[in-house]
Amino acid sequence: MRAFLSSITRFTAQQPLGAAGAVIVALLVAAAVFAPALAPHGPKETAFAPYLPPSAAFPFGTDNLGRDQLSRVIWGARLSLYVGVASVLFGVTLGALWGVVTAYFGGVADGASQRVVDTLMALPPIILALALMAALGQSVNNVVLALTILLAPTAARTLRSVVLSIKASPFIEAARAVGCPHWRVIALHVVPNTTATYIVLVTVNIAYAIVVEASLSFLGLGAPPDEPSWGAMLTAGTQALEAAPWMFLVPGLAISLTVLGLNLLGDAIRDVTDPRLRGGLG
Amino acid sequence: MNRSFSRLTLVVLMAIGASVLGAFAQDKPRSGGVLTWFDYGDPGRLDVHAESPLVVQQATAGIWSGLLHWDPDDPTKLAGDLAERWTASPDGKTYTFNLRKGVKWHDGQPFTAADVKATFDRILKPDFKGPKCGASLKPIVASVELADPSTVQFRLKFATPAFLPSLASAWCRVAAKHVLEKYGDLDRPEAQIGTGPFKFKRYERGNMVEWEKNKDYFVPGLPYLDGVKQYILVGGPTQLAAAKAGKVLLWDTWPPMRKTQADELQRARGNDVEIYQWPINTVYVVYMNTTKPPFNEPDMRRAVNLAVDRQDLVAKALEGAGVPCAILDPKLVGDFALPLDEVQKAPGCRQPKDADVAEAKRLVEKHHPGGLDIEIAFRAAGNYADRAQLLVAHLRKIGIRGTLKSYESAAGYAVYGKGDFTMIATQDRAMDTTDPSNVFHIVYTTEAGSNYARYSDPKIDDLANRALRETNHDKRKQLYWELQRHILSSAPGAIAVGWVEGWFFKDKKMMNYKPAPTAYDNNTFMKVWLKE
Repeated sequence: MRAFLSSITRFTAQQPLGAAGAVIVALLVAAAVFAPALAPHGPKETAFAPYLPPSAAFPFGTDNLGRDQLSRVIWGARLSLYVGVASVLFGVTLGALWGVVTAYFGGVADGASQRVVDTLMALPPIILALALMAALGQSVNNVVLALTILLAPTAARTLRSVVLSIKASPFIEAARAVGCPHWRVIALHVVPNTTATYIVLVTVNIAYAIVVEASLSFLGLGAPPDEPSWGAMLTAGTQALEAAPWMFLVPGLAISLTVLGLNLLGDAIRDVTDPRLRGGLG
Repeated sequence: MNRSFSRLTLVVLMAIGASVLGAFAQDKPRSGGVLTWFDYGDPGRLDVHAESPLVVQQATAGIWSGLLHWDPDDPTKLAGDLAERWTASPDGKTYTFNLRKGVKWHDGQPFTAADVKATFDRILKPDFKGPKCGASLKPIVASVELADPSTVQFRLKFATPAFLPSLASAWCRVAAKHVLEKYGDLDRPEAQIGTGPFKFKRYERGNMVEWEKNKDYFVPGLPYLDGVKQYILVGGPTQLAAAKAGKVLLWDTWPPMRKTQADELQRARGNDVEIYQWPINTVYVVYMNTTKPPFNEPDMRRAVNLAVDRQDLVAKALEGAGVPCAILDPKLVGDFALPLDEVQKAPGCRQPKDADVAEAKRLVEKHHPGGLDIEIAFRAAGNYADRAQLLVAHLRKIGIRGTLKSYESAAGYAVYGKGDFTMIATQDRAMDTTDPSNVFHIVYTTEAGSNYARYSDPKIDDLANRALRETNHDKRKQLYWELQRHILSSAPGAIAVGWVEGWFFKDKKMMNYKPAPTAYDNNTFMKVWLKE
């Protein structure tokens, strides 16, 4: 326990912005996990008067349909985190496996897969996401699927470049020389050496996924409109910019703070896991 | 007495509108300038006879003329347009229209009675789907005949007061015979060859519709404007931003502004604009598909009817600007509407709703223990998403868990037309006239143009048809009252949430514009002029 506290203290001292990011992310996770207990009302409950300004009863006011904004923001954290984590885990993991395997074996399959990656990366991400959502239909799980398709190529390209350099290392040559099968070389020698890159990709892309989900919902193609998505809340807020500014300020702040927290934490993790920077700090 | 009341109500409304809009008659009309306003969506196909979205009618309104229209100087009165005068036979079953002479189509061809016959033969053809003009006239008109090159006769199946208002509908515009023969329909921009005050100039999908002045218009001196531009603005914030920036001079279209938007506009534009509240002659409907489970079961429709909180929907989605529960709005049709006191006591309308919700829950539980999941469709237009969310909240209370599915405007109509849905959360249906028959022949009868529910009730058909044929005001009123009571107490596939009202504005430099009793009329701008 003392060692854990000591490492937190050291991390905070070395990465104060990262620590601030970690606090924000911890709050986000807590809101998402404990949403049913924390939210004073149901996120879809329309029982209250519309456009109520912030007050003791409704700290973030109510929206145009008479829903409690605080409850929706808390439940929105759950939706954002679910979409962010699920899509990144699926997308980055799928892309990572794709990049590792094709880079390891090389040849025609690697070349062909890279052309697929080129094609997907040539499309503007938000346009690709919009097209996918238009084809798949509005649902939270379809947002996850669209983001998975969006994130996989970048992960594949990044991991491929890492594996290409690992593949040329003497320890890989030695493993092959002693008769290790390919699956063993990949599983025990290649993959462990890509972990740092994988973790950075995950942390950085969660923020990206949350922003894309909010953008899709803002444009009306993300989560169904009654789901407490921060993006959809922003859209509702634009209907009453002057009459009820809390309607867009609250979800806007939630998105900004979450992305800031995840980016700060992601940068700190990158710095800590990068051997060159780690050496400098040490 | 009651008819007088109805007319008096409309006259008072018009008078209030006119006074609110200012005394524009005192200035001398000035030629020139381009009027800018907006369409809430992309019209796609432009065939005014075959389509029903307001955007289609609005995009093409100034191109066409009708035999009759609602007088631009007093939109509550019928006036001749291409018809110079008309007479009815003593039995009221034959109408003879004498047409204007010397009228030219926009391509220079002469207009004749053959064009009128070709138009209405097309609309009245049994296999032609005309959800507006066709739906109104098919039950009434037996045939259209040529008397001479400038005279046509309409032979009716029965005498009815609904004929002339239906014929004056903005959807019953006269198209050129040679254009119909050339293109087969009026869908394309190149087929927009009318006799109206403006020529169709440009249609950029998703961006703009533009008209230019018809210098050969048959009314000398008109139009005053050089042209009209309609920006295609999807979404309330974009529409409001354009209004606040002065990019659009008029907001007299669907969707109306809500109070919060009107207040925001007033703060931004101050004395440059005139803002007014107005009924838009449009009914807000929830549809259930009666040909598919679960709403092929009358108990399930009854449950939804009991659960939908019309007052809540009007209060929140329309910010109070509407008449909840009414199947006919007394402001628009006078005493043909069932008294609102009685309407508000009907099942599903009465407040508080606790007993109705409990009964609805029991009905759902009876057929679907543990509740059920359904998909609820809506078009991504106006504030339909807000209305749909409120409906989902109401249905959740009785064990119906709705998942919302949105459609792009035109795609939504296609899905509804094919019956490929379980429930439509919200769909406004605008009336073509102020005749009480309109709503029944648009929404409720088996052959109604917007009977998306595919509901068929012989009693509704019978009462609607008898009322349509009835020429005695009091007897007609009794039939419409019986019809409304039957709809309110039975389990139809369409629920009238209420009649929509809202706020509108016009820029003060726009002169001689008078709002009409329907959303479709008086948007040709033939007599409108700009002050500067």
